[in-house]
Amino acid sequence: MDVKLPRLGEGADSGVVVNILVSEGEPIQKDQTILELENEKAVAPIPSPVSGTIQKIHVKEGDEITVGQVLISLAEEAAVPRVSGQAKPEAAPESVEKALAPPPGETKEEAAPAGEYRYEAKSGFPPPASPSIRKLAGDLGVDLTRVRGSERGGRVTLADVRAYIQWLQQIAFEKKPAVAREAPARAAESIDFSKWGPVNKKRLSPLRRTVSERTAQAWATVPHVFQFDEADITALMELRKKFAPLYEKKGGRLTLTALALKAAVAPLKKFPIFNASLDEAAQEIVYKEYYHIGVAVDTESGLIVPVIRDVDKKSLLELSKELAEMAERTRQRKVSLEALQGGTLTISNLGGIGGAHFTPIVYKPQSAVIGLGQGELKPVVRDGKMEARLMLPVTVSYDHRLIDGADGARFVRELVGALESFKEEDFKLEGK
Amino acid sequence: MDPVKTEIVVLGGGPGGYAAAFYAADKEKKVILVDQDKRLGGVCLNRGCIPSKALLHATHLIREARRSSPRGIHFADPRIDLAQMRSWKESILDRLGQGIAGLAQKRGVEVLQGRGHFEDSRTLRVETQAGQKFINYETAVVAVGSKPAMPSAFDLGSKRVMTSTEALELEEVSDELLVVGGGYIGLELGTVYATLGSKVTLVELLDSLLLGADSDLVRPVMRYAQEAFKEVRLKTKVLKMATSGKQIKVTMESEKQRTEELYDRVLVCVGRAPNCKDLGLENTKVEIDDQGFIEVTPQRRTADPAIYAIGDVVGGALLAHKAAKEARIAVEAIVGETSSFEDVVIPAVIFTDPEVAWCGLTEAEAKEKGIAVQVAKFPWAASGRAMTLDRTDGVTKLIIEPETERILGVGIVGAGAGELISEGVLAVEMGATAKDLADCVHPHPTLSETLMECAEVFYGYATHTFMRKRTGSALREAAR
Repeated sequence: MDVKLPRLGEGADSGVVVNILVSEGEPIQKDQTILELENEKAVAPIPSPVSGTIQKIHVKEGDEITVGQVLISLAEEAAVPRVSGQAKPEAAPESVEKALAPPPGETKEEAAPAGEYRYEAKSGFPPPASPSIRKLAGDLGVDLTRVRGSERGGRVTLADVRAYIQWLQQIAFEKKPAVAREAPARAAESIDFSKWGPVNKKRLSPLRRTVSERTAQAWATVPHVFQFDEADITALMELRKKFAPLYEKKGGRLTLTALALKAAVAPLKKFPIFNASLDEAAQEIVYKEYYHIGVAVDTESGLIVPVIRDVDKKSLLELSKELAEMAERTRQRKVSLEALQGGTLTISNLGGIGGAHFTPIVYKPQSAVIGLGQGELKPVVRDGKMEARLMLPVTVSYDHRLIDGADGARFVRELVGALESFKEEDFKLEGK
Repeated sequence: MDPVKTEIVVLGGGPGGYAAAFYAADKEKKVILVDQDKRLGGVCLNRGCIPSKALLHATHLIREARRSSPRGIHFADPRIDLAQMRSWKESILDRLGQGIAGLAQKRGVEVLQGRGHFEDSRTLRVETQAGQKFINYETAVVAVGSKPAMPSAFDLGSKRVMTSTEALELEEVSDELLVVGGGYIGLELGTVYATLGSKVTLVELLDSLLLGADSDLVRPVMRYAQEAFKEVRLKTKVLKMATSGKQIKVTMESEKQRTEELYDRVLVCVGRAPNCKDLGLENTKVEIDDQGFIEVTPQRRTADPAIYAIGDVVGGALLAHKAAKEARIAVEAIVGETSSFEDVVIPAVIFTDPEVAWCGLTEAEAKEKGIAVQVAKFPWAASGRAMTLDRTDGVTKLIIEPETERILGVGIVGAGAGELISEGVLAVEMGATAKDLADCVHPHPTLSETLMECAEVFYGYATHTFMRKRTGSALREAAR
């Protein structure tokens, strides 16, 4: 059988093969990883749906592949005829309804769900289609189980295959021009840098391409305001020093980022616009009643922003554990696509590397991003006396379309206040 | 001697081999076809399908004549000239063999008569009458077929113990003939000899004839065999044979009872074995499975990337038309097209009296695999055409996927079932529903109507049968 690239999730119809982990002639087990696919911001392992021996690998590293494309040809282990197929009784009634449903295609709205369509029959037989249509589908790499058959019994005709391909083209075209429109400058002429000295060239990785497109788009469309401030974290760092070993024992790492996650919740609740998004199409402000905060992670291949969900509902210990795990998974590029989606605000902490204030770019469609620099001992005047205090550079970048300067200042003050007012109780582990 | 170079060498000139050679030549490949027989066509033409069908047709005439008395036509007993029958049969084989040779020549396929032996993955040595020849090929297609199995306990080296090969030579019509094996070969040849005058005793190890066919399709054949043969014994094992004067002494066991009986001849039809031995396959990377068949991918490529194998030698249904389909797939794979032997419907036909034919899923298979199906049956007693032929001993049935009403399998027993089944193959391959079949107008009066009416039975409105019970869904469907 041919193993094809399955659908991976929302917005993940294609990717670049970064690593092929099997070779021709090799026996593989069901669920064994065939290859790793880089798409958007993650590397997804693609498992084999069955056990067998690999006869042929149809893709190579660096190939850009799309859903439905044949990855490998497998000789299945047992000589069980396909007739016996894996019947999935529980899915059948619904699938039959679908099988008997009208074909995709009259309108765009109707066409959309075609991507979700899957033919399944209780008997385990493949979709009904004439031999010539099956051959055509094989030649084109079209998976007939995804094509809604319009004839009696869900039989797939040439017209159905054509409608399916047109639908695929349509979604492909709808995506591409959008990017082109928003990043017109990309088509700039190449400059021959080798005129001035030796150079070497490297193709943009898909990740780099995504970062470049996203940041350029945000920079071009979001009017940024950068509000700087400093937080006195002397007390916070002492508390951290005191509690770090305890947290470590429980498997958490009490980093400044974890603390910042915790500190960000109250200001967000007080100024919900910082947790909101602008729906440009509907001209609406969407206020989110959840607090999913993205954390910028520096990986070997570039910036990736995994999202910590429901930050407001988690204890400091939980946050510190989850953050450590998530950061590690991200560095190893094992983070799932879902974990990269749905953020309401982002924190970028460069303090570990150094530097003071910087101006992070808002991660559209979020409305703000918090940038943290390296805390430094500075002379500070308190009660008329000069004192050495550990001061943390804090930046809030925000979308001026939604947020005005006064609110920006209020928010950053609130955030600084939160960072400065951590108490022992905040660190204590719940005695449960 | 310098080796000959070719793109493709096909080893074996049967219906798989010559089909592969011709198709490859049609796709502009340089092809050499190697076969050890003088006449191309393999077992099918020389020792199988064709001669057996010639003899079945000839004897059918005798059976038909005997059935004619109630119609007011009275024949005297036929006078049989075996020598003439043999030469008539041979003339058919000759004409077909010449036809194949002519087609090979027109396509520029070089035919080499001799035994082929693999020296390595890219070299075939052929022992011809003019000495050894070596062929350097890019791709080889092994289509060497199978031969009748002869268990060593029966192998007395006596011409009185025959396989299908010898039986088809029609050397004599012996008085007492034992047929060992109630599969299609035993039944077909048993029918030929019984009609020609042998007293045929047929023994079968299992509790039914025609393994693989649904029991309701076997029943009319069993009825015929019980009438035409001296005896049909099921669940009977032949233990040994020995020569005893001009006869063969056969020891059998049935329900723990041992018997010894004398027969003039014994026909052993206990299966077929692949011809994988002495081909030098050990000099290649080709792998053989436990049962002695060559292992192949769905593209019919062996474990040796330069060697493909098709037909009986790779197992599955040992049928000429399966081999011919595999020939297409292998050649397409060789020239780089996407083809594979998957979801291919291979019909089975048994040329007994009446014939049995089926394709796709059988009722027994569905039961065994736990696939829920609905079965619609149309008895030929309700067919006008069957009545005019005096052949109401037939049944047409459809195996239907209940939710989609898709036809998953078709089974037919009755006169001409072998011709009728092709419509079933088309229906299954096309993914047709019972409604599709019911909606196609079938000419009257023909036996093909039974397929349409069978589909109508599924919906409860077949004209020539009446069913009191109609299911709700069938009524709904009928109302559409």
